[in-house]
Amino acid sequence: MRSVKSLATAAEAGRHQREWFADLRRRVAADEPFALLNADVPHEIFRTMDIPYAVSQWWASLVAAKQRSGHYLELVRQRGYPDYSEQYNAVTLGSAFDPEPEAGPWGGLPKPDIIVGEASGDVTRKVFDIWGHEPGVTFYPLESAAENEVPVNWWELMPHRWEQAVGPARLDLLTAELENLVRFLETTTGRRFSESRFREVMALVNEQEEWNRKTRDLIARTRPAPLGVVDSIPSVMLPQWHRGTEWARDIAKRFYEEVRERVDTGQAACPDERARLMWIGRGLWYDMGFYQRFQDEYGAVFVWSMYLAIAADGYIRYGDDPMRALAARFAAFTDQLYTPPWSSEWYVKEARLHGIDGVVHLVSDDPRGSYFTARALEAAGFPVIEIHADNVDARTFGDEVVERVGRWLENVVLA
Amino acid sequence: MPTALAALEEAYARRGAARPPASPASSASSEGPAGARTPVVGYVGADLPVELLTAAGVRAFRLTGDPESGSALGDRYLGLGVDPMARSVLTRLLDGAFGDLDHVVVSHDCEASLRLFYALRELRRVEPGTRLPEVYLVDILHLPHRTTARYNRRRIGEFAARLEAWTGRPLDLAGAVAAHDERRRLLAAVAELRRAVPARLTGRQFLAVADPGLPVDEHIALLERLLAEAGRLEEHTGRRVFLSGSDHDTPHVYEAVESEGYVIVGEDHSFGGPQPDRPVGAGGLDALAEHYHHSGPTAHRATAGERAAHAARAVRHCRAEVFVAYSRIGDEAPAWDFPAQRAALDVPAVLLERQEYGRADLTALRKEHPCAV
Repeated sequence: MRSVKSLATAAEAGRHQREWFADLRRRVAADEPFALLNADVPHEIFRTMDIPYAVSQWWASLVAAKQRSGHYLELVRQRGYPDYSEQYNAVTLGSAFDPEPEAGPWGGLPKPDIIVGEASGDVTRKVFDIWGHEPGVTFYPLESAAENEVPVNWWELMPHRWEQAVGPARLDLLTAELENLVRFLETTTGRRFSESRFREVMALVNEQEEWNRKTRDLIARTRPAPLGVVDSIPSVMLPQWHRGTEWARDIAKRFYEEVRERVDTGQAACPDERARLMWIGRGLWYDMGFYQRFQDEYGAVFVWSMYLAIAADGYIRYGDDPMRALAARFAAFTDQLYTPPWSSEWYVKEARLHGIDGVVHLVSDDPRGSYFTARALEAAGFPVIEIHADNVDARTFGDEVVERVGRWLENVVLA
Repeated sequence: MPTALAALEEAYARRGAARPPASPASSASSEGPAGARTPVVGYVGADLPVELLTAAGVRAFRLTGDPESGSALGDRYLGLGVDPMARSVLTRLLDGAFGDLDHVVVSHDCEASLRLFYALRELRRVEPGTRLPEVYLVDILHLPHRTTARYNRRRIGEFAARLEAWTGRPLDLAGAVAAHDERRRLLAAVAELRRAVPARLTGRQFLAVADPGLPVDEHIALLERLLAEAGRLEEHTGRRVFLSGSDHDTPHVYEAVESEGYVIVGEDHSFGGPQPDRPVGAGGLDALAEHYHHSGPTAHRATAGERAAHAARAVRHCRAEVFVAYSRIGDEAPAWDFPAQRAALDVPAVLLERQEYGRADLTALRKEHPCAV
């Protein structure tokens, strides 16, 4: 079942992404530097320096949506590496091994000059370091640090009191790493880093995410939901990869206005809405139709994914020192989504805000603290069903999942 | 009097039990000199600066799992994607298998340890009935840069201050570092016995010798005796294997491999110790921070290139004839290292991947590199 988008913003974001990628390929062909960045590292530095970049997870999602992840994982396997480990990054690594790169989605991912990723987990650094051994490619890793004690209410603290939320040790570390990154980029690309431009970029990002916050709040309080995640994910995530641009800020505003209009005119994703569902986990890129599969039969609408919600709560950072504020955006970014108590308490807060009736939780093999997420939601009264699969490796998705979710809706959520 | 090897093997068999091994002089009691109870600390991970635990005068031992007992609680709280060794440690903690611990200290040596820390922290918060001890993370990182060095120094200082708060007395760091450096020196000498041709210690025996769970002074005394008794050690003539990859907190895999006639003459996991012979030296907390910053290269924190270069050096040093990379389910980092390691070696290499905890499916090893013994 193919997903059906109905938002003009989603369609416009998709169009822009294709045009941007074609332009990116032109710029790379003209010998401009090209960076491949992990999602959770500070893109804002590259934006400031006008260094073209693509996001590895975005590329993996595109590959999966084109049903090509198996091909790239096979290329990884042919080099002797495991095809069952960290597929989100391994799929993108596979493109480096493709003997016919131009046959990839949208003409293929250009060869990067620099890769930046966080040394999280046990494997991410290895994956990108292996890529860094390809001719002409440099891998610049950033540390992934952890903290002993953290205040629970990070979503309230982050906009202004991020020093208190993240803690000075991690902020000092990442700020220093980013200062070094700037000098590395100035040296290797010849581009200059303008402090005033940097402040503009940081301000644009905050404006963009503030619009996302208004949109999130509007969807949360509107019944029936004006749209589902099939529309909200591209409307927020494609601009997210362009954050720090006026286009991204403006489309975030148009996204809000379009949702506002739908609310005002009574349009709904599923007029006969009987259950509001929350999707916890990464997007199921190879089967986005999954999210609309339960609307007709059960009136069950996926109104929530982390993508809009984390845009609303996870990015906004104000402060006089833009580099430290940028470090505060990313020094604990994944903790917001995956580390209890931050993650579990935030999901509960969001479930309450959105009036959620049931939670579908995608549990991947990589360690993500899923027990505490489910526990917190269930303790707060939200039914949870877990799906065990990888979000880019379609081989791991069981045929029985749709039927199981249907039974759960009947017997638990709608009972 | 049993031989030193027998004493070490006996201590190894008892380590991590509810009543951890203690020196005969102070055994059966954790009373300090002034009658105050000596804190008991269980620690997790390879990056823990154990010198600080010794300097604080606490009784400390590394927590280990058990493949023979169930891990249902650990599976539930950590999820099946986490290294089963960590799941087993958590299960045993919840079962009280380690006795009364005052504190658990966890290092960030791998993702499983970090996840274990988060689970312990959260369980204490939301399920206080589990009665878990206080848990503390020592976040030592490993990128080879000054930014990381400064971060590590800060974290080491914080841990030292926390230990002083726990015990209420200043650390004797110089004495502790000297003792641990002496242990490193002795362990390096003992490792040469295994590297001899024929080997004078099996891999299974070396696991016991390297980490019997004893206080450092007692361990030193037994290592000195072991070296003095070296002439009486048996010779082991099996095909010489270098074992790379996942940590082995129990002897199960060593026993499986060596039961087929191989002898494991070296390894690069933290229970054998990739580099046991490099001293910390003088320099206090600065030197300690640098030492742990550059520890390894372990499968979880080093690049494939670093691991391959280390494997080539270590295999030559051990005079190994076969290289075996072992990658456990939920611990996939070693499988990413293997192609570079194989390319760097001039001996046959085999990957045992997706292995179950405490098990070794040796089909690939038997098929490609059968033991002639």
